[in-house]
Amino acid sequence: MIEFKNVNKWFDKLHVLNDINLKIPKGEVLVICGPSGSGKSTLIRCINRLEKIQQGQIIVNDTPVHDKSTNLTKLRAEIGFVFQQFHLYPHMTVLQNVMLAPVNVKKIAKTKAEKIALEKLEQVGLTEKSGAYPAQLSGGQQQRVAIARGLVMSPEIMLFDEPTSALDPEMIGEVLDVMVNLVSEGMTMCVVTHEMGFAKKVADRVLFMDEGKIVETGTPGEFFDNPQTDRASEFISKILTH
Amino acid sequence: MLVDFNFRVILEYLPLFLTGLRSTFFIAIVSIALALITGIIACSCRISGIKFIKYPAIAYIEIVRSTPLLVQIYFLYFGLPTLGLKIPEIQTGILALMLNSGAYMAEIIRAGINSVDEGQIEAGISSGLNYVQRMRLIILPQALGVTIPPLLGQNIVLVKDSALLSLISVMELTRCGQTMTSERFMPTEAFLTVAFFYMCIYFCLKALADWSQRKLIFREAY
Amino acid sequence: MISFYFGRLMEIFPFFLKGLWMTSKIGFISLVTCTLIGFILGIFRSSDSTILKRMVGVYVAFVRGTPFVVQIFIVFFILPEWGVQLEAFSAALLAMAIMGSAFICEIVAGGINSIPKGQWEAATSAGLNRIQQLRLVIIPQAMKVILPPLVGQYVLLIKDTSVVSVIGIMELTRVGWVTVVRIPEGLMVFTLVGFLYFIISYPLILLSNYLEKKMAV
Repeated sequence: MIEFKNVNKWFDKLHVLNDINLKIPKGEVLVICGPSGSGKSTLIRCINRLEKIQQGQIIVNDTPVHDKSTNLTKLRAEIGFVFQQFHLYPHMTVLQNVMLAPVNVKKIAKTKAEKIALEKLEQVGLTEKSGAYPAQLSGGQQQRVAIARGLVMSPEIMLFDEPTSALDPEMIGEVLDVMVNLVSEGMTMCVVTHEMGFAKKVADRVLFMDEGKIVETGTPGEFFDNPQTDRASEFISKILTH
Repeated sequence: MLVDFNFRVILEYLPLFLTGLRSTFFIAIVSIALALITGIIACSCRISGIKFIKYPAIAYIEIVRSTPLLVQIYFLYFGLPTLGLKIPEIQTGILALMLNSGAYMAEIIRAGINSVDEGQIEAGISSGLNYVQRMRLIILPQALGVTIPPLLGQNIVLVKDSALLSLISVMELTRCGQTMTSERFMPTEAFLTVAFFYMCIYFCLKALADWSQRKLIFREAY
Repeated sequence: MISFYFGRLMEIFPFFLKGLWMTSKIGFISLVTCTLIGFILGIFRSSDSTILKRMVGVYVAFVRGTPFVVQIFIVFFILPEWGVQLEAFSAALLAMAIMGSAFICEIVAGGINSIPKGQWEAATSAGLNRIQQLRLVIIPQAMKVILPPLVGQYVLLIKDTSVVSVIGIMELTRVGWVTVVRIPEGLMVFTLVGFLYFIISYPLILLSNYLEKKMAV
């Protein structure tokens, strides 16, 4: 479903993605972790071309993402993206936030789009907040709206860039619950996170990155209990003691 | 000092001041409307990325911002006739105010657009919105809220700037003070009255600007 | 025709340089005095004393609420009525100081108010007195916020020196005005005047932009 072939990317001199080769099959839940600055966010931001790559290829559903002829609108409609800082549109209500893409990108009639949007809001448990503005919601609620906004285009892939890092501890659970439900529906997901509980519970595979390279991959059980590299075990002990 | 402040003379000149006030209002409103249009056009050109309209827009904005308004007024007042264009002083003045404030407004609008968080644009991109849709649906509505308070601030500046038109003998508020001074030689009464009227306009516009500051700015609350 | 006037314009070019010198002189003295007074007033304005705050507030409102040209007339015509004799040059400097310091005061107060309360509390807990708190803790941090708009204000002040031409100071704008009576080439004369202003103010605009970018990081 998603494939990285010898992908390289530099920010000026910094080699942020160093020869990445990766295959993510349909329905897989992949958790990506690693120290800050290891390139994990960049990795998933390349999948819907929020970032450009300098070498190699990324293929999503047989479409080369970084090809000039690629229909980006169509591609991005198939990929939902959830940001660390939510990035809800502050001037629109919750419902308008969710409806925006169906109405303007897919050109669905407003009434129909509203119906779909309300379904998605129900899925994240926020139907009653549909008329509220983002500023009136808690961080956890905002992030759930952001997930609904990602889901509304019926994507086959959902990308999450540290979805719980900006949240107060007591709100992390509600967001993770929504994500766990998505997993049970068979969604293909890439999640950049340090939430070990989430990884152990639902991830098919954990990928550990450092300095732009994939250092280690394995099942959550293998990775957390028996890491193969020193860097990975050092990292795990740090997030455990913190 | 203020003991022999002569209210009787002020009363006598009040009709003149009111005409001046009306003229100042007229000049300000027309200039603000024209400056806003100029500003929107100049800003669009500047951020367009098309070289042959971008650079003229930058040149216009930077030249206006680095020369005094009074010089711009004189440039048009003494310059237009040499080109064979003879237009009334008041129109010259409005033209100068429009060109001057237009450049500042262009920069205010540009700052408003730039103030929209990068993440907002990325969210729009991720949803598959194209450039025009992102501008129309996400960036401009948010930029508007950020832009209105400083635009109102620029309007305050413009009203005060219109006083300089008295120097090319446009009969507005400040000119009335000069007239009264030369006829009666009572500068205290004349200019304090003028100042009083400007203060009234200032407080009204300031209240409006402060109110818009509180009301209109959307914040992405984390 | 044009070339004839251009030649004459070049003949009197030294006259323009004199105007430029006068503009620079008024500009420079004003910047220094306005900055000094502006900082003092700005500290008053951001102080806890309600009376000080109000007094400075009234002063600032008066200056911001009236056109500079009206302020010049008030200083130049009204002070003599009240027995204060001023020659044009001093009147111009006084008017500039009154106007400029009010604007700088607002910038400084804004900068000081932008510093979180915790910094004051930390400095108080460390046993520093009020002046030490300002000098060692608050102002150094506030400078980041103050500096870019301050330099922007300098540009405005230099441009505003053109208005003192109304009381007969022979600065750049006045020189242009006097010249245009003798050489009826308004475009040429005021392009030259504008260009000379551009030389002074554009570097400052660039500096202000640069500071804004640098301080934002």
